[in-house]
Amino acid sequence: MKEFWEKALLGPLETLSRSVLSVLPNVLAMSIILLVGLAAAWSIGLVVERLLRVIGLDHLTNRLGVNAALTRGGVKADPSHLLGRTVYWLVVAFAVLAGLGALNLQPLNQFAQSFLAYLPRLFTATLILVAGYLLSNFVSQAVLIAAVNAGIPPARLVAACSRWGVQLVAVAMALEQLSIAQNIVVVGFGIMFGGIVMAAAIAFGLGAKDLAKEFLEQRLSNKSRDRAPDDLRHL
Amino acid sequence: MTAAETPLTPETEAKVQEIGETDVLVGIPSYNNTDTIGHVVRAVSAGLAKYFARSRVVLVNSDGGSSDGTPEAVSRAVVDLGTLLISEQQSPLHKIITPYHGIPGKGSAFRTIFEIARRLKAKACAVVDSDLRSITPEWIELLARPVLEEGYDYVAPYYLRHKYDGTITNSIVYPLTRALYGQRIRQPIGGDFGFSGRLAEHYLEKHVWESDVARFGIDIWMTTEAIANGARVCQSFLGAKIHNPKDPTADLSAMLVQVMGAVFALMEEHQPVWGGVKGSNPVKLFGFQYDVGVEPVNVNVDRMISSFRQGLADLEPIWREMLAPGTVEGLLPLKDCPLQAFRIPDGLWARLVYDVAVSYHHRVMPREHLLKAFTPLYLGRTATFVLETQGLTSSEAEGRIESLCQAFEDRKPYLVERWGAGRE
Repeated sequence: MKEFWEKALLGPLETLSRSVLSVLPNVLAMSIILLVGLAAAWSIGLVVERLLRVIGLDHLTNRLGVNAALTRGGVKADPSHLLGRTVYWLVVAFAVLAGLGALNLQPLNQFAQSFLAYLPRLFTATLILVAGYLLSNFVSQAVLIAAVNAGIPPARLVAACSRWGVQLVAVAMALEQLSIAQNIVVVGFGIMFGGIVMAAAIAFGLGAKDLAKEFLEQRLSNKSRDRAPDDLRHL
Repeated sequence: MTAAETPLTPETEAKVQEIGETDVLVGIPSYNNTDTIGHVVRAVSAGLAKYFARSRVVLVNSDGGSSDGTPEAVSRAVVDLGTLLISEQQSPLHKIITPYHGIPGKGSAFRTIFEIARRLKAKACAVVDSDLRSITPEWIELLARPVLEEGYDYVAPYYLRHKYDGTITNSIVYPLTRALYGQRIRQPIGGDFGFSGRLAEHYLEKHVWESDVARFGIDIWMTTEAIANGARVCQSFLGAKIHNPKDPTADLSAMLVQVMGAVFALMEEHQPVWGGVKGSNPVKLFGFQYDVGVEPVNVNVDRMISSFRQGLADLEPIWREMLAPGTVEGLLPLKDCPLQAFRIPDGLWARLVYDVAVSYHHRVMPREHLLKAFTPLYLGRTATFVLETQGLTSSEAEGRIESLCQAFEDRKPYLVERWGAGRE
């Protein structure tokens, strides 16, 4: 009877308690990592936000048109706050991954390693998208002003095309960076871009041959391109 | 780089050593001006012989690497003083023909001229453009004598011009410079100036020779720097200025970027000077003034107004960023008013130019975009001026420019207030 108690009942309980005791330090470590990570995320996020405010990031982005674009997109927070929150969530993500790693479970470790390996690509893609967006704003504004000064009637259409063109390139590059359907993206982009260029060339050739002729004549004969509407001397 | 480090070629150094000192120095910047520079050199030589016969005189050609034989043309150009009834000059005319170093542009050419003037201890200097067709020997007297004998530091040119000639000067640079610094210098960006050796040294000491001043904007920089530093300033009536057209490929918006960018950059530098200036004072004008018919100018008002209206249709969001709300509202009725009723009033124009200056200062958008987006506005104002002065003589049209200047002066507190305030 005593042997039955020891083997059938106490044995599994002892194994279970040993297992629990062996995991308990890991759970405790995970909890500590999570708590410290959350505290670190909160404080780092706050410091980053304050620092960005001090160096005047919001003024800079306002000048670049980012704030207006965020408002148009329904985002009411300013860029300093957004970046502060981004840093907060990044640190939280790292803390969670580190905490799960502390449990020392094989599938979770593999997931964490894959995620960490993917992070640089995610970061690069985000940078490409942000840079592409800023560049598209700058380019479209420059094109719009130049088109108006050149007296081209569909100036806004030309500017919009340039904006979408730059953004399209940025999105294609970001998707390529994320390894999402790489071949489709590259081929699709090539077809679309080539199509646009061809359409523009045909449209220009057919619809604006006189304009092209005048332009080339002016270029080749070195005549004045000054769009001054007469022979005014401005200076 | 300090003034002592301004580089000269060994040949120029030797020539300067040989000459020693001079009383009057005339500089001619050039780049591929072989067609016109001979005439300019002859006029300068005759002017120096006729009006500064007893003075030590030097002519400096500062060339930007011409490939058409401009320096040779300078070297060849001689004037027969006998046919001009000028008795033989007592001291010989020294010619220094030198390439300049640094960023290609008129400013770098001037820097070399200033440096030679400094080393020769020149008392009075003048600079004249190399593409002038209307320069006469009298120009040299009018530019140098006020410095040499009247104690002035800076002589600005005063040209006889058609009422529609120099519209950027008339509608922006003159009213703005006058309202800012309180001196009525009619041609602040004339191109031909007289100045003292002391002022040339001051120019050399400024750290601007690696900036846009070296490329363009040297004219307004020299004028503004002279006024802002309290130099004694006067003007000389030179008659008509006829010269080769500037770079034919330069378009209007690029021109506005250069001129207005230079004026606004100087506003930032000299804010402590102009912030407290109220009203303006007349500036002494030397020379015999006369009024004759000048070359007629063809003006197409319809195209200017249509450029403005396209700007209003397509650039309105950008204009709303760079102009105060009240200014934009003032422009909106011009969208569909009858052509003959099209007007940008003086007060609105003054506010508008001040708004653009403030936006430049506060960098509300890339500066080049800001200044280029100003082009249709400028064309709208030019159309207004043409419509208002169609039946007027040039001197009557000058009265309209005077009213515009008054509007700029009256609204200066608006500029001072907005300039000092943070971005809205």
